[in-house]
Amino acid sequence: MKTFQYERPADADTAVALLADAPTGAYLGGGTNLVDLMKLGVAAPDLLVDVSRLPFDAVEETGTGGLRIGAAVRNSTLAVHPLVRERYPVLSQALLSGASTQLRNAATVGGNLLQRTRCPYFQDVGKPCNKRRPGTGCPAREGAHRDLAVLGASEHCVATNPSDMAVALAALDAIVDVASGHGPRRVPLTDLHRLPGDAPDRDTTLRHGELITAVELPPPMPGARSAYRKARDRASYAFALASVGAVLQVREGLVHHVRVAFGALAAKPWRARTAEEALLGEPATTASFDDAVRHELAAARPLRDNGYKVPLARRMAVSMLTELAAASAGGTP
Amino acid sequence: MAGTTRTPTNLTQGAKADAGIGASTLRPDGTLKVTGEFAYSSDMWHEDMLWGFTLRSPHAHARILSVDTSDALAQAGVYAVLTHDDLPTEHKKYGLEFTDTPVLADGVVRHHGEPVALVAADHPETARRAAAKIKVEYEELPVVHDEASALAEDAPLLHPGRDDHHAHEVPHPNIVHRQPIIRGDANAAARRADVIVTGEYEVGMQDQAFLGPESGLAVPGEDGGVDLYVATQWLHSDLRQIAPVLGLPEEKVRMTLSGVGGAFGGREDLSMQIHACLLALRTGKPVKIVYNRFESFFGHVHRHPAKLWYEHGATRDGKLTHMKCRIVLDGGAYASASPAVVGNASSLSVGPYVIEDVEIEAVALYTNNPPCGAMRGFGAVQACFAYEAQMDKVAAELGMDPVEFRQLNAMTQGTIMPTGQVVDSPAPVAELLRRVKALPLPPENQWESAGQTADVRALPGGLSNTTHGEGVVRGVGYAVGIKNVGFSEGFDDYSTARVRLEVVAGEPVATVHTAMAEVGQGGVTVHAQIARTELGVQQVTIHPADTQVGSAGSTSASRQTYMTGGAVKNTCEAVRDKALQLGRRRFGTFHPAWATAELLLEGGKVVTDGGEVLADLADVLGDDVVDLELEFRHRPTEAFDIVTGQGFGHVQYSFAAHRAVVEVDTELGLVKVVELACAQDVGKALNPLSVVGQIQGGTTQGLGLAVMEEIIVDPKSKVRNPSFTDYLIPTILDTPTIPVDVLELADDHAPYGLRGIGEAPTLSSTPAVVSAIRAATGLALKRVPVRPEHITGV
Repeated sequence: MKTFQYERPADADTAVALLADAPTGAYLGGGTNLVDLMKLGVAAPDLLVDVSRLPFDAVEETGTGGLRIGAAVRNSTLAVHPLVRERYPVLSQALLSGASTQLRNAATVGGNLLQRTRCPYFQDVGKPCNKRRPGTGCPAREGAHRDLAVLGASEHCVATNPSDMAVALAALDAIVDVASGHGPRRVPLTDLHRLPGDAPDRDTTLRHGELITAVELPPPMPGARSAYRKARDRASYAFALASVGAVLQVREGLVHHVRVAFGALAAKPWRARTAEEALLGEPATTASFDDAVRHELAAARPLRDNGYKVPLARRMAVSMLTELAAASAGGTP
Repeated sequence: MAGTTRTPTNLTQGAKADAGIGASTLRPDGTLKVTGEFAYSSDMWHEDMLWGFTLRSPHAHARILSVDTSDALAQAGVYAVLTHDDLPTEHKKYGLEFTDTPVLADGVVRHHGEPVALVAADHPETARRAAAKIKVEYEELPVVHDEASALAEDAPLLHPGRDDHHAHEVPHPNIVHRQPIIRGDANAAARRADVIVTGEYEVGMQDQAFLGPESGLAVPGEDGGVDLYVATQWLHSDLRQIAPVLGLPEEKVRMTLSGVGGAFGGREDLSMQIHACLLALRTGKPVKIVYNRFESFFGHVHRHPAKLWYEHGATRDGKLTHMKCRIVLDGGAYASASPAVVGNASSLSVGPYVIEDVEIEAVALYTNNPPCGAMRGFGAVQACFAYEAQMDKVAAELGMDPVEFRQLNAMTQGTIMPTGQVVDSPAPVAELLRRVKALPLPPENQWESAGQTADVRALPGGLSNTTHGEGVVRGVGYAVGIKNVGFSEGFDDYSTARVRLEVVAGEPVATVHTAMAEVGQGGVTVHAQIARTELGVQQVTIHPADTQVGSAGSTSASRQTYMTGGAVKNTCEAVRDKALQLGRRRFGTFHPAWATAELLLEGGKVVTDGGEVLADLADVLGDDVVDLELEFRHRPTEAFDIVTGQGFGHVQYSFAAHRAVVEVDTELGLVKVVELACAQDVGKALNPLSVVGQIQGGTTQGLGLAVMEEIIVDPKSKVRNPSFTDYLIPTILDTPTIPVDVLELADDHAPYGLRGIGEAPTLSSTPAVVSAIRAATGLALKRVPVRPEHITGV
């Protein structure tokens, strides 16, 4: 590991100022991803600004009935928060399906959003990788890519975003609060991460030194149901092969509001906008769900060994939406 | 014959700390290990010690054009940097069977992660940074990565100019070893077959995934020698390979076993042993090397991936007529245990069945993939996956019950193996199958509870919540396997035990000294039990394992309780005879029974076989010390003929059968193994709790291979998942209930009639699980591990 300077400022302004002057510095949250990458030589920041103890550790109701989650809230805390469990089950389920208890105890909301891909080539400094070193090439396309992207990839990069939490937040229309030297701004979660295009080294739309301070959830839709499902290679402690988070509100048998987001299919949580539009006003039936999701996943461009993800994602989404619709009709929570 | 289903709970109840054989004596190291107090080899510390670090190749096959160590040497805190050019003698290679592995790369690297240079520094991080400053210029070479590329006309030769003992027999220099076995006339027998079933199978590269990474400490001695403390499986085999490279006589390389955190075959080959010694001798300071998890994946060999082609024939009435098979094992860049793996794969390829007409061929390849060698059940694991799939297929073709079909063809005592060897001890294959089949099946739909919500923990996908029972299909599958015990094919397999009996503080005390590597199998527990039984003492001290006593052979091949247990038993018997001689000298005139009766040592006393006490053992010994060191050998074996494969190659076989019950989410391809029942013949359970532990451990490792464990090697022969985040081993959530039924049918050739047990349960576990998944899905499933995409299709 390269030597680095470590600072633990007491307030956000100092944190932002410190990093603004350090072009190769980084914020440190729980360190569950960044420290690993530093050990592997993938990340080599010369300054770590520890933001895990800034006063962003609260989960509070907003004036409009939504929820404001501090960026330093630990994943384990958020997962079992009573309001999250009651109003945003998709988020609680997504968090609990991620990593291990020990990792969730350390990982923060802000850090979770900024974790980097598990692509094996990205993690091996002995190999080319356009995300790590733009222009060096992408061995994953011909190499080991079973876990990699089927949607929104580019010729330069087929990495996936590993977060479960971000998938739930995408389905919940979350807004991310960002601080910087230029003042605060708000970024819809779905605009936070970006597809690789021809700049795969940039995972997000954040500019250097911008600091995530909170995530805000809009108030839950009355009567809406939400859930998260994840397929993986073992029962626990494993990244998703595919996952899906959804929110569904049904009125008189018709889809009144629906949000569907897929995980592990793309470099960002994949909001299924095509499917959502197709479903709006349609009967909340398995057939409609199947049609809509098929339509969405028609955009998939699998590689040699990851085509299985498409039916996996479709079947999980259709069966979960069907269950949410049934719960809606039956009135069970 | 015993035969009750045993659980750890009913075994440990009332277990005494100082019991003899047959009792579930608790392990002296058990509590320390589970409470984190046990000192593993990575915990060692020496005043003024340096830390060694290994620079490894980023390429699978490359020529080294130049190495520049000057920047690394210039770094403050660095004491030494060594490359191939710095090796002190003309012995620059080592190896278990062939001496083909460079201590440090010799101008060419042949696999990803091959050691190229060593650094010793006063801090591990300093050593790592210095290694990063070593400039190595590589010219990448084309990789050999499978049979086609290994045997192609223009294939690069991994080891041109081979001079090993198989070099003159192999059809191609990129074949490490080839073993055919021909018996009867398979083609003629095939004409009698009413059905012929063929199949092609594949086994992925499994890792031993032991939890304690490779580590050790080398301390230079004042005599110019070195003391090495290391976690290994076989001290004397290490010693034989280390000493010549260092240019030292073996007596100047003193080895002591340090705390071993699991092995499973992965510590049979050397890792950091020579490296640490070289650095210690160069710097004159103690040098410690500890691999981290990432490096550990490159620091030891893996299980051979295999491709297997099988043909079986059977008559309508369910009798197997013949078998033909071809097994291709990928040995990777260096031979390691490949020749023995080929021997096992070929000689056990028929499985525990009677088939008189066979045509068998097994080969191991040299490739640029990671070196593969010993792992629990080697050779037999790969074959068992394939022949058990075939058994299900033939049974289905005949419309027979798969268990009945197996039982109809099961070998028994007296069966002749394809090698011509007569199975000359109990082979209860049909009985083991009967027992697992007779166990009650776990209830259906266990996820359904009285309440409304399903208990997802009982479902595929578990807490991922992927199903509440919809799309879930149950499958049940069976498998049985055969494994050889001990070293085979004419190897002079022996172990040594030194036993000392003396009076300490008025009590008779036995000290047992062997070089046996305790790697978690429970040898130290069992050896003390044996000494208590044979010498009738309560107090037994197990001396640390080191090279001051003769070789114990390897803790592998299910052999240590048989071999070092046998050595301890034999030496104890000789010590007992000497003690009784002392007794006769001292007290013989006082009681005629000293001369006439069969005498035993029990409860610290000399007793007659009629139970009469003649003397206290402490009085018999007085100030005398009885101290003997003896070797123990199993009966000799012989090499397999290189053309026909005939020969008395194996000393003992062990058998286990499994029944797997799985629930498969057919929509998503997720599998929940609900129960994995095992029945095994152990000959004699010296420590029933340890027996059950071995069976459950082996079963779980087999489950891992069935559904998740695989080292991913990409088309450029590079390892892609060297971490426990990406290489998945079963967690407790993936581990089913494992009912165990233990049979004890004595093998009269073995000490106490025992049978080596460690490996057999690993064999049949994998095919049983896959058979159950096939039963649930109707899919062919020719490859392990079975992944979701194999069940759902694309």
